[in-house]
Amino acid sequence: MKEWIFTTDHKRIGILYLVGSIAAFAVAGLMALGIRVELMAPGTQFIEPDIYNVMLYFHGAAMILAFLIPGLTGFLANYLIPLMIGAHDVAFPRINAFSVWLFWFAIVLALLSLAIPNPPDIMWTGYVPYSSQYSSGNSSFYVFTVHMLGFSSILGAVNFLCTVIFMRAPGLGWMQLNFFVWTILGAFVIQLIFIPVLAAAVTLLLFDKYFGTAFFVPDKGGDVLLYQNLFWFYSHPAVYVILLPAIGVFMDVISTMARNQVFNYKVAVFGGVWGVVLLGSDVWVHHLYTSGMADWIRIGMMVTTLLISIPVGLLIISLVGTLYRGSIQFSTAMWYTAASFWLILIGGLTGIPLAMTSLTLHLAETYFVMAHFHFIMGITATFAVFAGVYHWFPKMTGKMYNESLGKLAMTLNFIGVNLIFWPLFVIGVEGMPRRYQDYQMFPQFEVSQWWSTIGAVIVALSTILMIWNWISGAIWGPKAPANPWGSVSLEWTHTQSPPGPGNFKEIPKISPDWHPHEYSKA
Amino acid sequence: MAEGHGHVEHHWEYSYYPLIAVAGIFFALPLGFASYFEYGNSMLATIFLGIGVPLIVIGVAGWTAEGVANAHREPGYAMTGLPIFIVSETMIFLSLFASYWMLRLTTEVWPPAGTPEIGLTIPLIMTVILVSSSFTYHAGELKLEAGDMGGFKTWLLITMVLGAAFVGCTVYEYSHLIHEGFVFGTNAKSTAFYSITGFHASHVTAGLGIFIAVLIPALAGKVSHTLVKGAGLYWHFVDVIWFFVVSQIYFW
Repeated sequence: MKEWIFTTDHKRIGILYLVGSIAAFAVAGLMALGIRVELMAPGTQFIEPDIYNVMLYFHGAAMILAFLIPGLTGFLANYLIPLMIGAHDVAFPRINAFSVWLFWFAIVLALLSLAIPNPPDIMWTGYVPYSSQYSSGNSSFYVFTVHMLGFSSILGAVNFLCTVIFMRAPGLGWMQLNFFVWTILGAFVIQLIFIPVLAAAVTLLLFDKYFGTAFFVPDKGGDVLLYQNLFWFYSHPAVYVILLPAIGVFMDVISTMARNQVFNYKVAVFGGVWGVVLLGSDVWVHHLYTSGMADWIRIGMMVTTLLISIPVGLLIISLVGTLYRGSIQFSTAMWYTAASFWLILIGGLTGIPLAMTSLTLHLAETYFVMAHFHFIMGITATFAVFAGVYHWFPKMTGKMYNESLGKLAMTLNFIGVNLIFWPLFVIGVEGMPRRYQDYQMFPQFEVSQWWSTIGAVIVALSTILMIWNWISGAIWGPKAPANPWGSVSLEWTHTQSPPGPGNFKEIPKISPDWHPHEYSKA
Repeated sequence: MAEGHGHVEHHWEYSYYPLIAVAGIFFALPLGFASYFEYGNSMLATIFLGIGVPLIVIGVAGWTAEGVANAHREPGYAMTGLPIFIVSETMIFLSLFASYWMLRLTTEVWPPAGTPEIGLTIPLIMTVILVSSSFTYHAGELKLEAGDMGGFKTWLLITMVLGAAFVGCTVYEYSHLIHEGFVFGTNAKSTAFYSITGFHASHVTAGLGIFIAVLIPALAGKVSHTLVKGAGLYWHFVDVIWFFVVSQIYFW
């Protein structure tokens, strides 16, 4: 027990991240279910407006900050990166333990906000002046949750950049890294540079609310838009912190299951991953199209927002190209990956009208925006986390999950999310505003809302099946073969399942013609 | 690439101190802050601080002790890790400066009404103190490289005295200004002034804390060269930031 709670081993820390982020996912998912049930009919059904706002706050903040980012850059990066690069641990194991416990205590703090008097009700964005002047909620819990998770991520970035720079196995060159490792590097560079800006934004919010300072108070010479700029300066790149590792997981899964070299590897690394990192910092104003920004910057950022489809497109071309002439096996992870093509397609296409300043005038603050980002960011990345858990499940536990149950849960999940969000796209275009607890003024949307809620119930059922599959597989599952997918990557070929302390009996020596995605010789 | 691979563990490694430090932060910061400022319960805040602060001290002290004891096995990535971390720190300062520029450049009258004259003598003295402390620390590092522990400890102490004097100047200046009615929330100028100089002063204080973590094992004759170099790098960074603070806040 001591060796789990106080562990500094990257694999155990990875598992701690997994448990914490799935717990956050479960609670935030229950909030979403509650919200959907409330919206089944106009008027108040079960949830009073005040509680509804707290649930919206918790759902957004927990899903993004406590599930998606830690699930991808905490759990998957921790578990896989040292194994993939042939290292015995990360560069700073104790700082790694510090990071994971900051994350856990941040979740405790977020959960406490459901129990305290005056819970925060300021959405995950914490927009001023509501959060700093008018809300009677405890905004400080929001601020400190962001601080703790942010600090945890910054230390993670330092840790993993040093790990990949210094601790690659002898002979392992930069062009011989798993694609997932490259996407994690890109994600952590973004975290390192942009999280401090979010930390500053919420700190200034804290000063304004509790010390009466003037940052966001127009009467005293402050500027409300300053908060929105600082906030989205991080929070748009945060989308890529989530998207890049998600693509990385899909790429590794596809390459393994289709037994194919990653298509256009170098172009996808330099143009795709680093193109996203570079351009991703210059698109944030598309969140402020209707907030009163000057035209020159709105038009400029409309262009950069449209341009970012080029590096993202390079990544998608590589995903699809890797399938070409592959001999594809369909595991549950591969099913999730295949489904994500659909999610990325729809999420990406619905992003184009939102990138246009003129069309956004109509679409801003409607269900259309909400359905768009749930498709492209929320569900795509969630599927990546699930695909990652399934794909590396035999590695982590040494046992097999139930493949049929996994595919059943995946199918239900996929049907459910489409059923939730397709009606919302439609009523979004027709004018249904986001965030409303009651829509008595729009009775025509009741049927769509009802179907959407049915979708949410299906997703909840599929999640129960999936988590049951993981737990029962880890405890009673049959022993897994040493390399069930026939992968050539180091974590499968050179370590036990699950790997012991120090990972490798001997650190592997890498020859120049070896590649983790090269299957023509295998 | 190959360095640091000589040692492969054969048992599960663990450490008590990261979790203890995080628990301390959890009690002292979010719970302590919210009890006092949100709920106005100073009793509760005191209890949380009473739990949190000792935990932080135990965590940091134990962590440093482990680090110094294992100094021979540390592969020395820290001197790359710290500059990477400093990129993050720089971005926080940049965000604060950007906010200050937004406040200042979008207003017609600067400084706004209610701002007293802020003297330029104290910041000049502070500049001299902080710059010389960078040199005294470097002198200490040179002594350590030459194997002169006594000289190292002397220069380290001088550096710490200079750092403490810098913080003292800040406290003096603040109390003087607060006495004139210029507090954190007075106007846009006070907001920018206290948050930027205060954030910098907190970094100087953190640097002093790191120096204490260097000094205590040094008094027992133990030195982690990584810690010494890292502390120095951090201190020089804080010094460089001060030039931006003093030029933007006082002399513009």
